[in-house]
Amino acid sequence: MVRMFSKRNLTIYAIALLLILGLNFLLPRMMPGDPLMAIYGKDALVQMTPDLQADLVERFSLDESMWQQFGAYFVALFKGDLGYSYHFNEPVFDVILGRLPWTLLLVGLSLILSTILGIVLGIESGWRRGSKTDKTMLGGIMALNGFPDFFLGMVLLLVFGVSLGILPLAGAMTPYSGLSGGALVLDVLKHLLLPLAALTLAHLAGGYLLTRNTMITVLKEPYMLTARAKGLPSRVLKYRHAGRNSMLPVITMTGIWLGRVVMGELFIEIIFSYPGLGYLTYEALLARDYPVIQGVFLLGATLVLAANFLVDLCYPRLDPRIRHAH
Amino acid sequence: MHIDLKKEVAHSGSGRFGIALFLLIVILAIFAPLLAGYDPTAQSPVDLESPSLSHLLGTNHVGQDIWSQLLYGARTSLLVGLSVAFLSTLLSAIIGASAALIGGLYDSIVMRVVDALIVIPVIIVLILVAAYLQPSLWILIILLSLLGWQGGARIVRAQALSLKEGMHVSAARSFGASRLYLIFRHILPDLSPILLVELIYSMRRAVFMEAGLAFIGISDPNMVSWGMMMRESLEFSYLDVWLWWLLPAGIALSLTIVSITFVGHALEPVMDPRLRGEASA
Repeated sequence: MVRMFSKRNLTIYAIALLLILGLNFLLPRMMPGDPLMAIYGKDALVQMTPDLQADLVERFSLDESMWQQFGAYFVALFKGDLGYSYHFNEPVFDVILGRLPWTLLLVGLSLILSTILGIVLGIESGWRRGSKTDKTMLGGIMALNGFPDFFLGMVLLLVFGVSLGILPLAGAMTPYSGLSGGALVLDVLKHLLLPLAALTLAHLAGGYLLTRNTMITVLKEPYMLTARAKGLPSRVLKYRHAGRNSMLPVITMTGIWLGRVVMGELFIEIIFSYPGLGYLTYEALLARDYPVIQGVFLLGATLVLAANFLVDLCYPRLDPRIRHAH
Repeated sequence: MHIDLKKEVAHSGSGRFGIALFLLIVILAIFAPLLAGYDPTAQSPVDLESPSLSHLLGTNHVGQDIWSQLLYGARTSLLVGLSVAFLSTLLSAIIGASAALIGGLYDSIVMRVVDALIVIPVIIVLILVAAYLQPSLWILIILLSLLGWQGGARIVRAQALSLKEGMHVSAARSFGASRLYLIFRHILPDLSPILLVELIYSMRRAVFMEAGLAFIGISDPNMVSWGMMMRESLEFSYLDVWLWWLLPAGIALSLTIVSITFVGHALEPVMDPRLRGEASA
């Protein structure tokens, strides 16, 4: 039955991918006016010569039918050809590849940190439900949850960067510093600290609230009573019996939250001028550099899809009940 | 199954606080023209002025009164939030309930599309579409609604499925109640608590997204928006102006979102009755 589960999932992801590709292909071609402008953006027109124009029309099969155009688009994608950015004067693929590591560093670390922190705080809070610690934590985190991530980022930037001046304001490392080894790592970490803190704080609440809610339910289960009757220490009860079961919903939700993290990531990178994909999107939006916007869209959407798919694959392994449920 | 919503919220301290705060923001937005004192888009020659009696929160980089912008910003946020909440919940209800009640091939096709839309990151799609369309406020509302119904539809469908099999519905059916009677008399009323929670969460999402999109420059140029104010003020972060320009806009947005969250949290026992008994916390 496990196989049926993943077959259904494959259909979902196939539909999702098709929607994304379709949108990416159709949007620029349905815009009124010159499709070359819509596909290539503002900067391309400045450099446009009749030769280049003929070349581009041929490359995208723009003089052929929609279906042939879609075929050409698909073949190009398959070869890893995302087009050429006339704003950055580089193939889109290379532009994106240069920015990707920074985003992965920031998103990866903040996702790990906020998940772990959310689960641990949720377990502690649910364990002490109704106590003063629980109420303070719940109130505090709910209030924190109300701050949009970009506002949180701006306040951190203004307080620690501008007013106190103890942390750098922008970028991912000090330019032209010629640092290497330990000093370079330290420099990167210093630049990472504020954006990472903002993103982690902004995404703490989801995992915390979910873990706390599940914890409250799990604590009422009969097996908890049995475990307590066996005289197990509360640390074991809390983390091994209740905590482990409270983690499951958080892990399922991580995939869906990833969409929200992408959004937070975008804002935080813009505020701290952190040179990842989010800041690239912003630069491309300002320059109307459509090939880059499309490239980032395709990559971002596919990455989120892939992460969701992985979560779906892992879930039955983490919760054996799912395997027998179908 | 029938849940008294008023009691649910009134019993919760944070729920009452949330509602009071939200009503205050609504009142400020409605009476904005009376309280503002200036046209929020009118420019004056005195730019980047500090707060004074004539300009409560000073003026921005083109001499617009920040206090007036703040009040009119509430209108934009609430208009987008309420319209999107209403439209997307309506879509969720129609699509989710029809999938549950019609069933069969229609149900499986609809649910596959819902699942596909759930895994697609909405914000990236919005940015791509907005990059081409440069939406006006109403187009933005429609876009946010079209991309915001899928989660709700799944919840509505699950609830409608279990209601369909409920004892009271079978009892009514065995007395010969017609399909329409069942839908309007039993299924829709019992769906309403879930729809209300869905309404609140979509509003929260919409307020947040509107501000976020305005912050990265995707907004109706004719409307004042808190997100837009924050973006503009960030360029002057090296001056002290952020204290009365950025902070009020950010705090106003945060308070709006907090008030909606608190109301939603007070209603959470509706979705999961096992949590009941703690709402008084």
